[in-house]
Amino acid sequence: MSITDIQITEKLTHGDDHHDDHQEQSFIFKYIFSTDHKTIAKQFLITGIFWAILGGGLSVLFRLQLGFPDMDMGFLQPFLGDWISNSGKLDPEFYLAMITMHGTIMVFFVLTAGLSGTFSNYLIPLQLGARDMASGFMNLLSYWFFFLSSIIMFISMFLSTGPASGGWTIYPPLSALPQAMSGSGMGMTLWLVSMVFFIASTLLGGINYITTVINLRTEGMTFRRMPLTIWAFFITAVLGLLSFPVLVACVLLLVFDRSFGTSFYLSEIFIGGEALPNLGGSPILFQHLFWFLGHPEVYIVILPALGITSEVISTNSRKPIFGYTAMIGSILAIAFLSFIVWAHHMFITGMNPFLGSIFMFLTLIIAIPSAVKAFNYITTLWKGNLVFTPAMLFSIGLVSFFISGGLTGLFLGNAAIDINLHDTYFVVAHFHLVMGSAAFFGLLAGVYHWFPKMFGRMMDEKLGYIHFWLTFVGVYLVFFPLHYIGIAGFPRRYYSFTNFDAFSSFVDLNSFVTVAAFITFGAQFIFLFNFFYNIFKGKKAPINPWNSNTLEWTTPRVPEHGNWPGEIPKVYRWPYDYSKPGAKDDFIPQTIPYHKTEESNTDFENEEGKKERFDN
Amino acid sequence: MNNTAIIFAKRNLKLKSVNAKKFALWLFIVSICMLFAGLTSAYIVKKSDGRWLEFEMPDMFLYSTLVLILSSITMHWTYSKAKDNSLKAVKIGITGTAIIALAFFYMQYLAWIELVAEDVFFVGNPSGSFVYVFSGLHLAHLIGGLVFLLVIFLDTINYKVHSKNMLTIEMCTTYWHFLGVLWIYLYLFLVMNN
Amino acid sequence: MLNVIIIIAAILILVILFAIFRVSSLVDVIKGDSSNKIPSSNGLQANLLLLFLIIGLIGGFYYSFGGLEEDFVLPVASKHGVITDNLFWWTMAITGIVFIVTQIFLFGFSWKYQHRENQVAYFYPHNNKLEMVWTIIPAIVLAALVFTGWKAWIDITRESPEGSEVIEIMGYQYAWSVRYPGADNVLGNYDYLKIDATNQMGIDFSDRASFDDFIPREIHVPKGKPVRFNIRARDVIHSVYQPHFRLQMNAVPGMPTQFWFEPTKTTEEMRVETGNPDFQYELVCNKICGQGHFAMRYIIVVDELEDYNEWFKSQEPWLKQNADYLTEVPEKLREVASITVGIENEVWSNVQKGLTNSSSK
Ligand code: HEM
Ligand SMILES: [Cu+2]
Ligand SMILES: [Cu+2]
Repeated sequence: MSITDIQITEKLTHGDDHHDDHQEQSFIFKYIFSTDHKTIAKQFLITGIFWAILGGGLSVLFRLQLGFPDMDMGFLQPFLGDWISNSGKLDPEFYLAMITMHGTIMVFFVLTAGLSGTFSNYLIPLQLGARDMASGFMNLLSYWFFFLSSIIMFISMFLSTGPASGGWTIYPPLSALPQAMSGSGMGMTLWLVSMVFFIASTLLGGINYITTVINLRTEGMTFRRMPLTIWAFFITAVLGLLSFPVLVACVLLLVFDRSFGTSFYLSEIFIGGEALPNLGGSPILFQHLFWFLGHPEVYIVILPALGITSEVISTNSRKPIFGYTAMIGSILAIAFLSFIVWAHHMFITGMNPFLGSIFMFLTLIIAIPSAVKAFNYITTLWKGNLVFTPAMLFSIGLVSFFISGGLTGLFLGNAAIDINLHDTYFVVAHFHLVMGSAAFFGLLAGVYHWFPKMFGRMMDEKLGYIHFWLTFVGVYLVFFPLHYIGIAGFPRRYYSFTNFDAFSSFVDLNSFVTVAAFITFGAQFIFLFNFFYNIFKGKKAPINPWNSNTLEWTTPRVPEHGNWPGEIPKVYRWPYDYSKPGAKDDFIPQTIPYHKTEESNTDFENEEGKKERFDN
Repeated sequence: MNNTAIIFAKRNLKLKSVNAKKFALWLFIVSICMLFAGLTSAYIVKKSDGRWLEFEMPDMFLYSTLVLILSSITMHWTYSKAKDNSLKAVKIGITGTAIIALAFFYMQYLAWIELVAEDVFFVGNPSGSFVYVFSGLHLAHLIGGLVFLLVIFLDTINYKVHSKNMLTIEMCTTYWHFLGVLWIYLYLFLVMNN
Repeated sequence: MLNVIIIIAAILILVILFAIFRVSSLVDVIKGDSSNKIPSSNGLQANLLLLFLIIGLIGGFYYSFGGLEEDFVLPVASKHGVITDNLFWWTMAITGIVFIVTQIFLFGFSWKYQHRENQVAYFYPHNNKLEMVWTIIPAIVLAALVFTGWKAWIDITRESPEGSEVIEIMGYQYAWSVRYPGADNVLGNYDYLKIDATNQMGIDFSDRASFDDFIPREIHVPKGKPVRFNIRARDVIHSVYQPHFRLQMNAVPGMPTQFWFEPTKTTEEMRVETGNPDFQYELVCNKICGQGHFAMRYIIVVDELEDYNEWFKSQEPWLKQNADYLTEVPEKLREVASITVGIENEVWSNVQKGLTNSSSK
C-alpha cells in the first residue's frame, strides 16, 4: 500500500497541471500516455478485448477436454508444448491452470477493468458535463497499473511451472504451498503481484470516479438528474473502494504465509512427506476475507452492466426508465447488502451453523432488489416503441440472463439445498448466466451503443445482429444444460469424469455444450471484425444517432480533449424525457430548459421554467 | 401528474463542491480504513477460532503512541504557522515532526525487540504475527506521510506554502492526523484484545 | 481429414459473412437511409425474439421432463436428503413459474411493442403501488423459502444423535483414508506430527482409545442408523461429497469438521433401484486440491445393520497389522495394547527385541 501512498502524494502535488496543454501533443502523449479520459477508456476497452479473447480461448480449450475427453490433442503440442503429453492428452495440472486463468482473467481483467474501466472512464465526464476526470494523471496511472498487472499475469502463463492453478479463488493451503501443485510456486507469486497492481489500479480509478461524480457535475446536474449509468458506476466505485482494500489484507497475509513462513492460513499440515511447522492458522479465515471482497466484486461486475442496460433500454424503448427512484434504491440496497452476504460461499466449510442461518437470510434478501430491477426493465419495455438496435438486443439478452441466473441464486442461497449443489456445475451455470454472460452482454451493449461517440463512426448493424443471435443462443445452449449436469452432482474443476460411475452419464450433453461453446466463441470474431474494421472504415456517425437525451450526444462527432469546444452545457431536466406527452419529438435532451417546452410541461415544470428565465 | 418530474425539477443549485484533491485524499483514507478494518476483523475471527497465544503487549507501544501524538501536535502547530505565513516556523515544524516520526519508527522497532524477547516472533502463532503486521503496515503508511512531509518542505522552500496556498499542507496535516488516529486505534485494539 | 473439412467450413462461413456484410453495406449506400434511425430489420428482430421464446420454452420443457437420455435427478439415499430434495423441488416450482412468466413478458413485450410508425410510447415513469407490490410479494415468497430452508438446515447441522456410528475420514492428495473406532467405539487421538509413510493418518498411540482403531479399504455404513463422519484433511482443503446422500462437507487441514446423516438404502437396494448391477456409492472430492482432484474416489458400502456389525467385527485393528507401532505406545500400556489388539506374543517379543537393539545402539 505504501506504493500508493507515494503516488497519491505525487499526484496531489503536481496533479492536474497537465490539463490544458493539449494543443500540440506528440503521438505518445496523445495516444499512449494520455490523460484524456476518452483515450484511457479506449485503452481499457482494447486491453479488455485482448483479455476477453485470451480468456475465451482458454475456455474453449478446456471445454474441448470436457466435451471430448478421448480426443487426441496432439495438434496443440506446437502451442502448448509439454502441457500436452506424448499420447495427446492435456496435462491435468494444466487443465487447472487454464480454468484458474480463465476465471481470473474474466472476473478481474475483462469484466472489472474492461467494463468499469472503459465505461466509467468514458461516460462519467461525458454524461455529467465535465471536461475530464478529476485527476487525469491518476487516471493515467490507473490504466498503466492495470497494464503492468496484465503484463505480469500474461508472463505468468509462460512459466515452465505454469501459472497459478488453484482456481480463481486461490484458497490456501493449495495456493500457499508449492509442494501442493506446481502452479503454486512462481505462478502464484506472479498472480499475487499482478493482483496488487490490479488493486492499485482499481482504487486509483475508483477514487477518481467518485471524486468526479461528487465534484464535477455541470450546472443543474443534481443527483436526481444523473443518468442511471452514472449512478451505477458511482456505486460500483464505492463498492470497489470499500472491498478491494480487504482483498489487499487477504492477499498480504497470504504473501506472508508463502514467503515468510507465518501461519495465518496454515495449520497442522503434512505434505510432500514432511510435516510443516505452521500451527494456529485457519484456511477458513482466508475465505472470509476473500469473499468479503469476492461477493461485492460480483456486483462490481454486474452493476455497470445494469447501468448501461438502463440507459440503452430506455433510449430504445423511447420511454423513461420505469421507476428511476426504485432503480437507484435497488442499486443502493444491493451495494449495502452485498457486504453482508459473503459467507454464502462458505456454507459447507464447517462454519457455525447459526452463522450459516444468518447468511442464508441475508442472502435471500439481496434477491429482492435484484428482482425489482428485472421487473423495472420489463415494465420499461411495456407499451414502448421498441427500436432493436444491436445494443438494445444485447440489453434484452442481459435481462434474460440476469433473471435466469438470479433465480438459480435462490437455490444456492438456501443453505440446505446448497449442501448438495455447492461446487457443482449448478454453481457454474448460475454465475456464468447472472454474472459472466449478463455482464459481458452489458459490455457489448455499451460498445454497440457508444461506438459512434467513441470513434465517430457507425458499426455495421447486420453483423451486429448476427453476432447477437449467435452469441445469445450460444450462451443459453452452453450454460442451460450445465444446470442439469449440476443437479446430477457433477463437480466443477474436474479434469475428467471418467473415474466415477456416478458421472459416466451426460457424455453427449457435454460434447454438445462444447460445440455450442465453439460457435459462441467463433461468433465473437464477427464482432471483432465489425469493431476494428469500422473504427477506420465505418460510416460517419450522426451527432446523436439514437436520439438520446444524455449529454454525451451534445458533443461534436469526435470530441477533443475537453469534450465541448465551447461552454459546458447546462442541464435542466432528468435524462429520461422520452415520448413525453405533448412534446414535438419523442425525446427532450437534458440541455433543453423547461421554458422552451411549455407544451409538454407539468405545472410544476412550468414554474421551474419561469425561474429559469429569471435566472438567465 | 407525476411527482417524479417534480422532484427532478428541483432548483438547479450551483453545485457546492469540496476541493477535489482533498476529497480524493479522504477517499484514500477510507480505503486505508477498510484495509485495517479487514485486518482487525481477521484478528477477531482468528482469535475466536482458538489456538491463540496470549502475551504481554510491550510497554514501548504505549510510549511510542505518546510520541506519535506529540508529532500530531507539532504538525498542527506547523499548519497554524503556515496560516500565519511564518515560513521559518513552518520549516522548523516540518523538520521537527519528521524527527519525531523517525523516533516513532525507532520506538516501534524497540517494541518489536521487546516482543522477540518475550518469544513472540513474526513467524509463529498468528496472535504475534498480527502485531507485527499491524505495526509494520502502519509504518509503511507513515513512510508515505514522511514523503508527503518532504514534499511540503520543498514547497515551503519554494515559497509555495503560505496562507493563500494551504491546500497541500492542509492535506498533509489531515493525513498525518489520520495516521495518528489509526495507530491509536490499532494500539487500543491490541491492548483490549490481549 | 476431419480437420481439413472443419477448416474449409470455417473459411466458407467467413467468406459468406463477409459477402453479406459487403452486400448489406452497399444496399445501405444505395438506399441512402442514414436519416432513418429505425433499423430496417426491426420487425424481423422482434419476430426472432418471439421465436426464441417459443423454441426456448418448448426445448426447456422437453429436456426437463424426460427429453434427456439420462435422468439428472439422482435417487436419494439418506433421510435428510428427502427433505433437501423436497426443498429443491419447491424452489424449482416457484422459480420455474417466475422464470417462465418473466421471460414471456420480456420477449412478449419486445415483440408486441416493436416500433411502428404511428405508435407513441406511453410516458410511464413510475407507479409506486406496482413497485410496492413487486417488492413485497417476492419478499413474502422468499421469507417462506428462507424459513423452510432454515428449519431443514438447523435439522441437518445439529449435533449427531447419541449412538451414531462415528467414522473418521481424512482427505489427502489424492485419496481418502478412513478410520473406525474399533471395539471400544471411541476414536483415538491423532497428531499430524505422527504421520509417516505407514501411519498415514497420524494415529496417536499414546491414547488407549486408538489401539483397536481400524482402517479399512472401503467405507461401510449401516442402513437406518445415524452415521457421523469426522472429517479432516492432511495437506490442502478437500471436500467430502456424496451426491446420493446429498452430503457434503469440506475437509480442512487443522480444522476438523463433521457431518452426520442416516442412509436409507443399502447398496444392494440401490442396485435394484437403478437397474445397475455394479452400482456403488462413491465418495467424491469436491474442492479443488491439485492435479489428482478428479480422481479421489472411495467406495461407500451401505449394509443392512447385521451385515454391518459382522463386517465391523471382522476388521483387524491397524495396530495389529502394524505391530511395529507398539513402540509408540507408552511403555506401561504396551502389554495392555498387545492384549486388546490381539498381537501374538511372538510378534510382540520380536518388536521388543527390535526396541532393545535400537536403544542399545
Ligand atoms: C439473486 C441473487 C443471488 C443469490 C441469492 C446468489 C447466491 C449465490 C450463492 C449462495 C452462491 C454460492 C454457491 C456455492 O458456491 O455453493 C453464489 C455463487 C456465485 N454467485 Fe450468486 N447469487 C445471486 C446473484 C448473483 C449475481 C447478481 C452475481 C454476479 C453478478 C452472482 C455471482 C456469483 C458468482 C460469481 C458465484 C460463484 C463464485 C465461485 O464459487 O467461483 N450471483 N451465488
Ligand atoms: Cu456471493
Ligand atoms: Cu479435491
